[in-house]
Amino acid sequence: MNMTIEESAFHVIKKKKDGIYQNELWKELEIDSRKCSRIISKLLEEGLVTRESAVSNGSRTYLIKANTQTQPSYEMLLGAHEFSPCAGCRDACQPETCPKLTEWITIIIKNEILSEAQNP
Amino acid sequence: MVDLNDPVVRGYLSRLVGDDGLEMIEKMPEGDITDEKIAEETGILLNIVRRTLFILYENKLAVCTRERDSSSGWLTYLWHLDLSDIEHQLEKERKKLLRNLRTRLDFEENNVFYRCPESCLRMVFEEATETEFLCINCGEDLVFEDNSEMVNAIRKRVDALNIDES
Repeated sequence: MNMTIEESAFHVIKKKKDGIYQNELWKELEIDSRKCSRIISKLLEEGLVTRESAVSNGSRTYLIKANTQTQPSYEMLLGAHEFSPCAGCRDACQPETCPKLTEWITIIIKNEILSEAQNP
Repeated sequence: MVDLNDPVVRGYLSRLVGDDGLEMIEKMPEGDITDEKIAEETGILLNIVRRTLFILYENKLAVCTRERDSSSGWLTYLWHLDLSDIEHQLEKERKKLLRNLRTRLDFEENNVFYRCPESCLRMVFEEATETEFLCINCGEDLVFEDNSEMVNAIRKRVDALNIDES
């Protein structure tokens, strides 16, 4: 799948935990500074990044950081390596007695016991 | 921007369309394309391709366009994948799971359970009194089940899934 320029910019920003200076970003993406600032505005609008004024190599620029908080983590949909059994489920929904849900919860319990045994 | 190596994304897609379907997604050619062409290019059976496309379409992860041949009047269905909305779908799944786990937690906390030692069945106290604490399947004496481990596990998961909801 091809990435749009906004996506590749976000990808580069995300990789740098302490953020990246805007004047480094456009060089890395091999685009001009005008285009870069347009991309940043778009990412800011979508709430994917934050921007603060900064100085790099004696010139005024912005420090861009990826906004990790706006991306909620869906890891809790995984029990051990099994995704939520409710996804795509077509059975009549009865969570009280659902065997699929029971099995999924059992996997979580087993996994917990296992990891406690490994890291007491 | 969807990372197919992300374990959550993989888990979700594989739950929806199975491992064959996931393989189809990974090998999916670019652009609008017919189901037959997908089967041909990915080497995946046509019925699996159709099933996968249909499920993805239902979950708004595939887009279908229809074209009518002006001379024959035949319709051609062209497909492409659009996984950009996957986060929205994951959010739906989070809410669904949270709702179901809450229902389950409520049930586990407010009932006393008995189960057959041969693992035939599990009953709430009221049901067990009706069968005089005997398994209706094999006749064994039912035993009390301590479900505190289950309750704790569900409660922990409900709390974790609930974090983003503020």
